[in-house]
Amino acid sequence: MKKKVLSSLICLSMCATMLFGCGNAASEQTTTQDQAPAAETTAAAETPAAEAAETTEATGEKVTLSIYTQYADDDTKVPYDYAVEQLAEAYPNVELNLIVQAQDDGQTLKTLAATGQLPDIYQASTDLINTFRSSNQIMVLNDVAESTGFLEKLYDANKDLAYAEDGNIYAFPFSGQEYVLWYYNKALFAEYNLEVPQTYDDLLNCINVFKENGIVPLALFGQEGWNTAAAFDVIATRYNAGGIKALDEGSASVTDQAYVDAANTMEQLVAAGLYQSDATTTNYDQASQMFLAGEAAMFINGQWYIEDATKALGENVDWMFYPAADAASYEAGKAAFSGGGSASGFAVNPDSPNAALAAEVAEFITEKYCEAKVMYRHNPLVALDTGKEPDSEYPAMMKKLSDTLPSITSTTKFTWGLTNSTFNDAIQSESQGLVSGQFSAAEFIENMADSMQ
Amino acid sequence: MPTKPSKSILHYIFVAFCWLYAAFSLYPLIWMLFYSFKNNQEIFVTNPFGFPWPLHYENYITAWTKYDVPLYFLNSLIVSIGTVVITIFCALLFSYATSRMIWKGRHFTRLFLGLGMFIPVQAIMIPVVKVVQGFHLTGTRWSLIFPYVAINLAFACMVYYGFFRGIPRELEEAACMDGATIYQTFFQIIEPLVRPATVTLVIYIFLNAWNEFILANVLVGSIPTLKTLPLGVLFFQGEFTTDWGGMGATMVIASFPAILVYSFFSEQVENAMTIGGAVKG
Amino acid sequence: MKKYMGNKLAIFLFILPALAIFLIFDFIPILQVFAYSFTQWNGLTTPTFTGLENYFRLFQDRVFVTSNKNQLIFAILITVYQMLFATIFAITISDAKMKGRKFLRVAYFIPVILSVTVVCQLWSAILSGQGLLNKLFEAFGSDYTQNWLGDRYKAIYVIAFVNAWQWMGYQFALIVAGIKSISTDYYEAARIDGCTNAGAHRHITIPLLAETYKFCLVISLTGGIKAFTEMNILTGGGPNKSTYTLTYMMYNAAFKKSEYGYGLAAATVMVLECMIVMLVINFIFRDKDQRKEEERSRRKRHAD
Repeated sequence: MKKKVLSSLICLSMCATMLFGCGNAASEQTTTQDQAPAAETTAAAETPAAEAAETTEATGEKVTLSIYTQYADDDTKVPYDYAVEQLAEAYPNVELNLIVQAQDDGQTLKTLAATGQLPDIYQASTDLINTFRSSNQIMVLNDVAESTGFLEKLYDANKDLAYAEDGNIYAFPFSGQEYVLWYYNKALFAEYNLEVPQTYDDLLNCINVFKENGIVPLALFGQEGWNTAAAFDVIATRYNAGGIKALDEGSASVTDQAYVDAANTMEQLVAAGLYQSDATTTNYDQASQMFLAGEAAMFINGQWYIEDATKALGENVDWMFYPAADAASYEAGKAAFSGGGSASGFAVNPDSPNAALAAEVAEFITEKYCEAKVMYRHNPLVALDTGKEPDSEYPAMMKKLSDTLPSITSTTKFTWGLTNSTFNDAIQSESQGLVSGQFSAAEFIENMADSMQ
Repeated sequence: MPTKPSKSILHYIFVAFCWLYAAFSLYPLIWMLFYSFKNNQEIFVTNPFGFPWPLHYENYITAWTKYDVPLYFLNSLIVSIGTVVITIFCALLFSYATSRMIWKGRHFTRLFLGLGMFIPVQAIMIPVVKVVQGFHLTGTRWSLIFPYVAINLAFACMVYYGFFRGIPRELEEAACMDGATIYQTFFQIIEPLVRPATVTLVIYIFLNAWNEFILANVLVGSIPTLKTLPLGVLFFQGEFTTDWGGMGATMVIASFPAILVYSFFSEQVENAMTIGGAVKG
Repeated sequence: MKKYMGNKLAIFLFILPALAIFLIFDFIPILQVFAYSFTQWNGLTTPTFTGLENYFRLFQDRVFVTSNKNQLIFAILITVYQMLFATIFAITISDAKMKGRKFLRVAYFIPVILSVTVVCQLWSAILSGQGLLNKLFEAFGSDYTQNWLGDRYKAIYVIAFVNAWQWMGYQFALIVAGIKSISTDYYEAARIDGCTNAGAHRHITIPLLAETYKFCLVISLTGGIKAFTEMNILTGGGPNKSTYTLTYMMYNAAFKKSEYGYGLAAATVMVLECMIVMLVINFIFRDKDQRKEEERSRRKRHAD
């Protein structure tokens, strides 16, 4: 009996603490809501940034904006921290409540949207923009982009990234055009007297030599569908410069000879052992560490990897133009890259009590992200002309890319830039099937054609 | 035993197997501990299984500084204990009513509640959040506790049902003769008999609530004061790269208290239950 | 006595709290899942009713067949593994003569305490191409190295093993608890009758644990049918969706493709499958009381 008394006591006291805790949280919530109308009036005036800041300062009220964005590695932490620091000066009354983005295919954000809890500012991909557009949960930012000078700063090449299909701006992009680079370890190639492969025959030769010496030719992180899709795209673009973008838009069909050839080539390369045997269950860090540790000779990733690769391998790392079927198509293919920009960036919840202010802040943060990426991440491929210089020289690979940029005539898309979600799902899993070596090229073509019907 | 069979070689093989399997079950603990002191390169390439050297103890510093560990810990504790207490209470009563009391529709009611075991949480996530909002629970710890109770209830009821069925009818008949009310019978005679089940359920439900991530992320992910420990891993998972060592440290911080509690208490609690005595008495 | 055990007020009070929480936080959402499975819906806009279209599409989906096959393999494998080892270990550590049994009891339960993420990380390290297992095979000069998690047909067995290994400890704990609630009188009687240890267990422990086995069976079979987390971490459903389950289909459709209605159709089919399994188990294991009741009502019906 004694035990029961004790346990019920514990239970009671716990309930009390819980109630107390709940009460606190609830009152906090109401206070933020109380502030909301005031902030709205200040922000709704649509004054330029500085003025808006002054008015809020005059009223002396703090506004907390929730922001849903990535905050994990240097590439996401450095820009965010820089933006927050700058925000404190420009908008002293605005505080950000960071909600760290989960890597869950948008599950969290979609649930928050479905239940009306969307954060004030959130990082939206093409897929999310399209979904939220249909439910009016993403703010049209045309006017803000105009008044804040965002459009003037936007590089011409990136204009199409800002606008959605319907001609409106729904998100402020901070990344510019991005590219899939085929990285290779110069030291390993030199050690085994190998030339940088230009044709698939060269590549097959390299594969054999590396395999004989116990080195993985190319480390793929095939657990992530986008990497296998990119692995297919770097081959597909050699046959049809449009690559997976043309398929996504429907301007080409997967049954076209170009794609059949690409699938067959990929099948052949997989059979030869281009990728590690367990590529489809390898995650990014595993594959990356293999490449950086010299256990793998090549690696396929975006240009954002230049910084990390240079840090670890220094002079020994470079990127190559994608190999092609023959020398002629190799030369011709130098102008066609896989990858490209995507209409993703910071978007604003139109139902937020501080929507207008949030839109300005979102634009401000976007600018600061671009600045931080140029200055501290040595990545000039941002959406905006920041007028900033990096704090040290650009890495050699970035210089080489910058030199190549003017001659690039065609790009495709990363999977997160694709607009057809059925195609997106299909290409990610079917290309993974090809990489596994257990699905034939014929199966790939057939299944892709099936799913696109 | 009257004729003690001499221990055969088979017996020793069996015992050896039991111990090997136990070692195999304990290995993840050591592995996780090692893991939490490594960086990505060691984890994936240079030293996936060996002793971590040099010790990357900075993983713990990162984990400790990235988020408010004591606060998240406290939140997890309150939510988990709340879930356990309410679930056990509800499940005990419900299972008793459906397993031993006599009324029409008891089988249906029991099976109906079993439905809760089958639905994946991802499917009901959006409706659950809407219900939580409908009851104005958002921003409170109840917003986690009630859904957790609902999720664990079906399972707990099924386990209790099984245990209640095994109790002889004579106990209640005797209690009835003695003039005890049904409430007295339940709390003083029947409930102590299923203590072994209660103990395993307490542990199981506690762990479920302690490790739950998906619902916690959508329900309290935006409220810094209410976040629970599993949400800590978010600080280590980037779009492309993950700080696995830091995540390991987070997981050690999250699971070692549970392991310690389990290894210290499970034995004492179970020893306190004298089952045979209760049935005889 | 019947009146005593049929106390209406007591029954009402006893079932109310559980039923209320279940109805509000579980059943209403489940009803919505069911309702929305007949619509085309992206989760945000107003759903449009499309009748059985989602179901027709689902039954034609190539992945649907794979998913069901995977669930079946998964469910059977984990059930056999868990029940077998859980019984053996539970009986072993219930034997007071077993040395170190307290330690063993904690050890077997440890994998349950760890989160699924930790366990899956460990196993993916062991099972990867250059992992511990393949290295062991190499060290022994065997060429039985495998692409354990990347095989289109075999990966599901490996994933099922990981799940079975982790949750065996829980069934073990339940069976131990079941054994503890068996009165020691039975064993004393058996000993007097000259039963051996193993014999006593076969004739007493296992039959008396029928109820325990019943819910262990339900737990592991339905657990197998709704499996998701292990696939998600170990293989990501790959290669090319060959380790998908219905829950995975639901997740993929709802959150990757914004086809919420379609995903919920997959979830509904899965819930129905679980229901059927549970009803079948209940039917097979129905105890004497129930059988008597059934017979009585049958006779009544005949009499009417």
